[in-house]
Order: sequence, then structure tokens, then C-alpha cells
Amino acid sequence: MRTPPLVYNFYSLLVRWPSTLLTTASIGSTVAVIAGVMALQQGFASLYELGGRDDILVFLRPGATSEGESAFPKDRARIVMMETPEILFDKAGWPMAAGELYLAVRRAKEDGGETNVPIRGVPQTSLTLSAPRLQIVEGRAFAAGRDEVMVGKSLVGRIQHCRLGDTIRINATGFKVVGIFSYDGPFQSEIWGDIDRLGQVLHRPTLSRVVARARPGADVAALAKRLESDKRVPVKVMTEKEYLESQTKAISWTLWLLGSFLAVVMGTGAVFTGTNSMLAMVAARTHEIGILVTLGFRPVAIFSSFVMESIFLGLAGGALGCLLVLPLHGMSTGTTNFQTFTEVAFAFQVRPIVLVTAVGLATVLGLLGGLFPAWRAASAKPVDVLRRV
Amino acid sequence: MPWILIIQNLRAHKMRTLLTVGSLAVAVFLLCFLKTVLVSLEAGVAASATNRLIVQSAVSLFVDLPHNYQPKIEAVSGVAQVCKLQWFGAYYKEPSNFFAQFGVDTDRLQDTYPEVKLLDGSWEAFRTSRTACLIGVGLSRKFGFKLGSRIPLIGTIFPRSDGTPWEFTVAGIYESKSANVDNSTLWFDFKYLDESLRSGAAEGPIGVGVFTLRVQPGIDPTRVASDIDALFDGGPLRVQTTTEAEFQRQFVTMLGGVPMLLNSIGGGVLFAIVLAVLNTMLLSFRQRFHEIGVMKALGFTDGVAFGVLLIESLVICGSGGFVGVAASALTADTFAAAMSQILPTFQITASTVASGFGLAMLIGLMAGLFPAWQALRLECIEALRAEV
Repeated sequence: MRTPPLVYNFYSLLVRWPSTLLTTASIGSTVAVIAGVMALQQGFASLYELGGRDDILVFLRPGATSEGESAFPKDRARIVMMETPEILFDKAGWPMAAGELYLAVRRAKEDGGETNVPIRGVPQTSLTLSAPRLQIVEGRAFAAGRDEVMVGKSLVGRIQHCRLGDTIRINATGFKVVGIFSYDGPFQSEIWGDIDRLGQVLHRPTLSRVVARARPGADVAALAKRLESDKRVPVKVMTEKEYLESQTKAISWTLWLLGSFLAVVMGTGAVFTGTNSMLAMVAARTHEIGILVTLGFRPVAIFSSFVMESIFLGLAGGALGCLLVLPLHGMSTGTTNFQTFTEVAFAFQVRPIVLVTAVGLATVLGLLGGLFPAWRAASAKPVDVLRRV
Repeated sequence: MPWILIIQNLRAHKMRTLLTVGSLAVAVFLLCFLKTVLVSLEAGVAASATNRLIVQSAVSLFVDLPHNYQPKIEAVSGVAQVCKLQWFGAYYKEPSNFFAQFGVDTDRLQDTYPEVKLLDGSWEAFRTSRTACLIGVGLSRKFGFKLGSRIPLIGTIFPRSDGTPWEFTVAGIYESKSANVDNSTLWFDFKYLDESLRSGAAEGPIGVGVFTLRVQPGIDPTRVASDIDALFDGGPLRVQTTTEAEFQRQFVTMLGGVPMLLNSIGGGVLFAIVLAVLNTMLLSFRQRFHEIGVMKALGFTDGVAFGVLLIESLVICGSGGFVGVAASALTADTFAAAMSQILPTFQITASTVASGFGLAMLIGLMAGLFPAWQALRLECIEALRAEV
């Protein structure tokens, strides 16, 4: 089947540039909004993907869905640490495991208002466990038993009293900020200090979770099954990777829902606009279509020619949408993860998948907008269209 | 103004008119939806009672206060009554079936929250039975709970030691008259929780999440708040006393960039729709080039040529706005039900409806002005000479 050359459609779009431009912009901004929401979701999810490891085990109290809810008496945590054969032991014969305290504390933001910042009381073993991912970028690590803390890099400039040398007041005790650390993942939005001191000041005798390094080849699924129904110390076990992924579900799901809702609603609007433009293009070219038909082009060829033209419009809109959303990449924002009620900072991530979706969506919008006008063009009778001058 | 001409124009291009009205309706619908979300987020703050104060830990939302703070707070002058509230955080069957539950002083709830009105059941039954609960009318609709239903809840912060779910019996169904108390909350007896924790039947922190208090009429709440804060300033657990509005606001602040995100989405929608309507009006003008020349030749003034196009745009946008607003008002209940977990106060307001419609008219004005102005300036002879 011969179709009119694509260059014909291309020139048509150029000649009717005001309409082309407005339709492109309309599709482009629709796609940009949806890509923006997607970039936000990707940024949030990547934060949790980055932080998780397969060889770190997380122990929570049964029933708890996050460490914010979980609580362990210390003696029970000790049994878990000492008597789980899947935990790796260091050269001195001690388990590479740490009981940690986690609490969302109320802190003032630098730009006003309050938010919940996670504070983590850890023993020195936690620092060993999180090396080399945790790195001190300024100052030093807190010392055991001292009223000192180190803060995650993402808090600096966002939360008050989080600069080196500041003092963070908790109840009646001041903790000196002695270090700033980087740690890819949600941990970078946390404050870390000595577990015993924080436990006393916060009046929290319990632990929130136990983390441990797994022995190579340990069967985590079997361990989880065994400990879940353990009579003496029932606990919930998963890898750090699984744990962190479970923490993103609520927000990822909400953003996904919002993105789809916007795609359907705004997409409908964009298809209407595209149809309008293409209808006008067809109407303005009635005479030309007649000539094409007379020249022997089949209706199917004319149909596909106009659909192609509309897809061009969509592609141009997609490209524009990508251009509009690209500057968002790396822009940082923060929101509360309602799984733990704490605020995490993260950056928009315009990943390839976002761009591909944007262009794909734009193409579909162009295609849908072109179907009806192309059908109208293809169903024109040569005599009718040539008669009209 | 030649109205017949305007109507005929709109009818001559039915498809185009309908598509433009449609895309406008979609945009207005979306804008109303986003605005409603934003308004609903703030609804709790806006509807807060001015004579209620909340005492919470100054350190963290998750640190409990000791029981013995209650009589001390009650002794502060100007305090009428203090009620305990403990966030329970359990779930019904699946973690996704989330709704708020609070352990409260059953004998004080009614006086502390007069906006909570019982539709069914009795306060008496709620107060006398240890395992009784009150549920919001939203929960009753969503899960089909009725008076006397037993609701099993799986504890997360407070699991039962034997691993079984908690069980509460519905003694009353309430409806809240104000947005600061949502209709998807379950209230139960604080003493039941406390005794279970002390006897070892359940695990978890023993304490009180927040104290809600009513201030006596004519007393300055700010003074009472600072008196209470001063009382515990020396520790061991410092408190922060705020008005109910400030307490609610902290949850809005927690959302961080979300309100800004919704606003920018709204901006994007607005931008796209202005372009779409402008496109339609330009097409309309272009196709009527010749016609405008004829009109002018017949003696219609420039003003009429201007008015015809502008009014056409306003009619299109007005009807689009109307459809959009009507659609969002009609679907509001469906959305409210679907979002009852994340946004229990979702409710479309009259001002949202008005601003949605007003915005549509504004778009009509903006998109209509440029083509109308071009029609006004069009030379009669030039228009007649032009090929269609």
C-alpha cells in the first residue's frame, strides 16, 4: 500500500504552526505533570532501594509493621542475638548484632513549623554493621556513653540545631552534634546517638529492633518461619532490603494512584484537544484530500497518513513534556512517611523509565486524538471534496 | 448582540464545541478535586475548637506521659476537665484497613467533644461495659459494623500477649458535627487497655498519649497552656501544650511538599486547558474570517464582531465549568468513601465549587480576548478578499 509521503504531514504541521504549537504544548504539559508525579515516586522509592542489603537481618516484634511500632525488652533481644545461629560472629566470638532504639522526635524546621525526625540510639556495633555505607563527612562519630550525637547529611539546613557544634535538647538534656554522616537511603535523615544515654533521657527501657549481619548462605525464609512461632522469643525477621521496601508501599501506592488518576483525567482532556486540532487540519485540507484520492491513494492510506500526523503531534508533545520535567531531576523535597510518621528528604529522580513512559503516553494521546479526524478524512468522496472550492 | 448568530456558530461545529466543553469540564473537575484535597487537609485545623487544649510530650508524638500528670493538670486554674487519649494503632483484618482508634476516659468523652453526636446506641452502654466502643458512621458504612457488632483488632503497638486480636463491641455509632473529629474513628475504654497492659495480657508502653482539656469559659487558653508547660519544665518529661488547631496543624506540616505538589499539578492542568481553549477559539476565528467580513460589510459594528467571539468563548467555558463542577459535586461522595482512610474529612465546599466555575469563566475570558480582539481589528475588505 502506498501512503502519501511523511514529509507531506510534516509540512502540514509546520504550515499550521499556531495550532500545532498549542496542541503540542497541551499534550506536553499533560505529560509533564504525570512524569513529575512519577519522578517523585521514583525518587522516594529509590531512597529505600539504595539503603537495603540482603545480608543484614532486621528483627522486629511480631505484629509490628515498622520499627516505630516495634518494641523489645532488652533481655529478649539478648537471647535473639546470642542464640540465633544464622547471625555471623566476629573474630573475638561476639555476634555481629546490635539492638537499636528508634523514636520519632519533634524538631523545629529551619523554615518554620515542626516535623518528626527519627532519632536512633545505637551501640558501637551498629557503626561496624553499617560501615562502609555510613561515612562521616564532617567531625567524628559520637563516643560511647557520652551526650553526643551525629546527624545525617539531609538534616543539615532543614532542621534546626543540626549543624556541627550545635546542641540538640531532649527533655532536660543537651546532646552535642559532633559529626555529620552520609548514608544512601532513609538513614541520612536520622540523628544517631549512644543507645544507653538516649534510652535514659527518653525514658525508653526497651529496644525497637535488632539488626545483625547474616552468616553467608543463611536461609532467611526458614529463619523467619522458625522464629515467628518460637515459644520463648517470637520475632519477625526479614532482610534489610525487604524491610525497607515494605516501608515505601503506602506512599508509592498513593503516588501511583495519583499518577494514574491524572493520566486518565488529564489524558482525556489532551485527547479532546488533539482531536479538535486534527479536525481543523482535516477541514482546512478538504481540497487536498480530494486531490490525494484522485491521485489514487486508498482511503486506508489516507487514514494512516493522518494518524501518523497526529502521532507526530503526540511525539512533539512528549519531547516537550520531557524537556519540562528534566529540570526537576535532583530537586530535593521532603514528606512524611506515614509508616513511621517521620519526615524523609529525597530528590526527584527523572529516570529513563519516566521519560519512556512520558513519550509513550504522549504517543498514545496523539494516536487517540487522530483516530476520528483521520477516519473523517478517509471517508471523503473524491467528487464531493473536489467540488467544494 | 446577535445571539442567534452565536448559537448557530456553536451548533455549526458541534463536535468542536462538545470536545472543548468536554476538556474544560475535565480540567475544572480535576481542579475542584485538587482544591478539595487541599481544603480537606486544612479542615481539621479550621474547625478546631478554641477552648480545647492538647497536652503532649515536648519530645515526641510517640512518647507517653505518666498517668499522674492528669490530676496535676486538672489542678491548674482555668482547666474545666481533662480527658486521656491513647493512640491504639491496631488494624482490622488487614493492615490496609487502617482507621484511627483511641483509648479514652469514657465518662469524659462526651463533655470534651460535644460535637460527637450519637446516632444509635447509648453513652450509658459505652461507659458501663469495659470492652464497648463507639464508632463513626463512616466506619459503619465502610465495614458494615452495626450496634452490637464485635470488631476484632490486631494490635501493632499493643499486641495481646496470647497473640489473639483485641475485641470490641459496638455500643454506639456517632456522627461528628465538625471536621476536627472525623467520622472514621473508634473510641474505646482507656482503662481496658491500661489494665490489660498491667496484668500482662497485652504488651506495650504504659502511659497516656495526650491529654485533651477544656478551658473554663472566659479564661485565656494561652495562659493556661503556659502554666501547664511551666509545671513540668523541670522534667522528667517535659510537655508541650497547644491549642487544638496547632495540634492538628502539625499533621498538615508533616506532609511537607505535598500541598505544593498538588498546587503545581493544578498549575499544569490550568496551563494545558488555557492552551486548549485558546486553540479552539483561534480555529473558530480562522474559519470565520470570511464571515466576519460579511458581518462588517452588512453594517455590524466592530464591537459586535468582538462580542460574538468573546461570548462564544464564555459560553463554551461556562458550560464546561458547569459540567465539571457538577461532576465533582456528584462524585464527591464516592471519592470521600474511597479516600476515607487517607483523608477522612474529604468534603467539597461551596467556595471550591464557586472558584471552579469562576476559573472556567476566567479561562473563557482569557482565551476569547485575543481572537475577539483580532476580529475587532479585522479590515472588512481584507476579510472578504481572503480565501477560506
